[in-house]
Amino acid sequence: MQRILSRGEIEGLERNALPRLRLPSREVFAERAARLRHLAGGNSLGEYLALMARLAQAQHEALGAFTAPLPDENRLSLAHTHGMPPLPCEGPLEGCWREALRAVLAALSGQELGDAPRATVARLEQTLSAEPQRLDALAQALLAGEEPGDVAAAPFLMAALQVYWTERASRLPEAVVPAVVPSRVCPVCGSLPVASVVRVGAASDGLRYLHCGLCASEWHMVRVKCSHCEDTRSVAYHHLEGASEAIKAESCDACHSYRKIFYQEKDLEVDAVADDLASLTLDVLMGEAGYGRASANPLLWFA
Amino acid sequence: MNGMNRRQFFKVTAAMLSGSSMAALGLAPEAALAEVRQYKLARMTETRNTCPYCSVGCGILMYGLGDGAKNVKTTIVHIEGDADHPVNRGTLCPKGASLIDFIHSPNRLKQPQYRAPGSDKWQTISWDEALDRIAALMKADRDANFVEKTAEGKTVNRWLTTGMLAASASSNETAYLTHKIVRSLGMLAFDNQARV
Repeated sequence: MQRILSRGEIEGLERNALPRLRLPSREVFAERAARLRHLAGGNSLGEYLALMARLAQAQHEALGAFTAPLPDENRLSLAHTHGMPPLPCEGPLEGCWREALRAVLAALSGQELGDAPRATVARLEQTLSAEPQRLDALAQALLAGEEPGDVAAAPFLMAALQVYWTERASRLPEAVVPAVVPSRVCPVCGSLPVASVVRVGAASDGLRYLHCGLCASEWHMVRVKCSHCEDTRSVAYHHLEGASEAIKAESCDACHSYRKIFYQEKDLEVDAVADDLASLTLDVLMGEAGYGRASANPLLWFA
Repeated sequence: MNGMNRRQFFKVTAAMLSGSSMAALGLAPEAALAEVRQYKLARMTETRNTCPYCSVGCGILMYGLGDGAKNVKTTIVHIEGDADHPVNRGTLCPKGASLIDFIHSPNRLKQPQYRAPGSDKWQTISWDEALDRIAALMKADRDANFVEKTAEGKTVNRWLTTGMLAASASSNETAYLTHKIVRSLGMLAFDNQARV
């Protein structure tokens, strides 16, 4: 879709100013829950998507009931000076992330869950009161991308970590985030992106943003460029023949990896995490074609 | 940061799914795995280029369809402005916006054409023939009309009877080479066509 500029708009256009960063809105989990519920109908993973929709709804409720302190001025300016993320995903984990977990589990307790998820939630609640430090270790393994240990609990723990990081990122002044270009990791928290979204509307029209799997921030990266190795020569786009063209896998023959890319122009409601999870068929076929996933989905963990 | 670790570069397979959060939470991935066989992958490319029309030099993205195999011809299915490009930020003028028709036009000239003096017909000739003929004619004209010195005896080394119109969407390198070739022949009438 071409953007048509009206008279006067052309002269006033600050041509080089593209919005490089989109900090998360407080509605991100509510929107994700709605998207997951929508995708669950008619999807072969419908049951799992419906469960994750309940989890996203619980995240939204937890976000409303929870605040975490932002790092102080000194830390923020130190991070900015050195071009480092202001809310780093590595390093010591503040105990207040467990408040986010408590809030997520509390919100889930009112929800209709299956037997196995209910047992997992109960197990986590028990560990949370009995030996909270064990959860810190599990959480840190997830943040570092190591073996999740407990694959049933991992989506719930990750959901709480997302609430903890998104809560802070949504209140972060944009000026404290260093402009590191190009960046293959999130400029806010330093974790890997889940997928890309090509946005529509206003100044972001047609621009590609990488979506952080932890803090839900989005940062700009030029299109037709591998988001893993930044190669530009052998990037290709794969989609399921006859299925939606809003979902493609952006592959690279230099590093043989791919990440999905969602085109909002073809489907306005796309959510990087939800749509990535709902398009597992594309992952299987990409694997068979010889490409590996460059990073995992925060709501699906493998042993 | 998560540079390289075990999470990287994994392939999603049936075996992996049976050891995933999904299976551990009691939800079977079988239906999803069965569905995979209904689908085939289609491959597309997005390629950056510069619009060939005028000297503004707008960035374009060309969408091509084809799997890149040797015996399959890639076809361009869509062209739009490149939102990342600092010159046009995704916008295109009406001519640029209809570039796709320019590519697929049945009237598109793909080979050199020659119309002999006095003839009313165009004939297709090879690039070798065309370039040889242009070179021969240029040399003949230059030999006949090159001006080494003016009547007052000043050295000028100019060739006024032939001119050249070069491309509009030239890169700096192309412009440099064009300039060097044309000027070294002594040719004065020369323009990088900025207006089509």
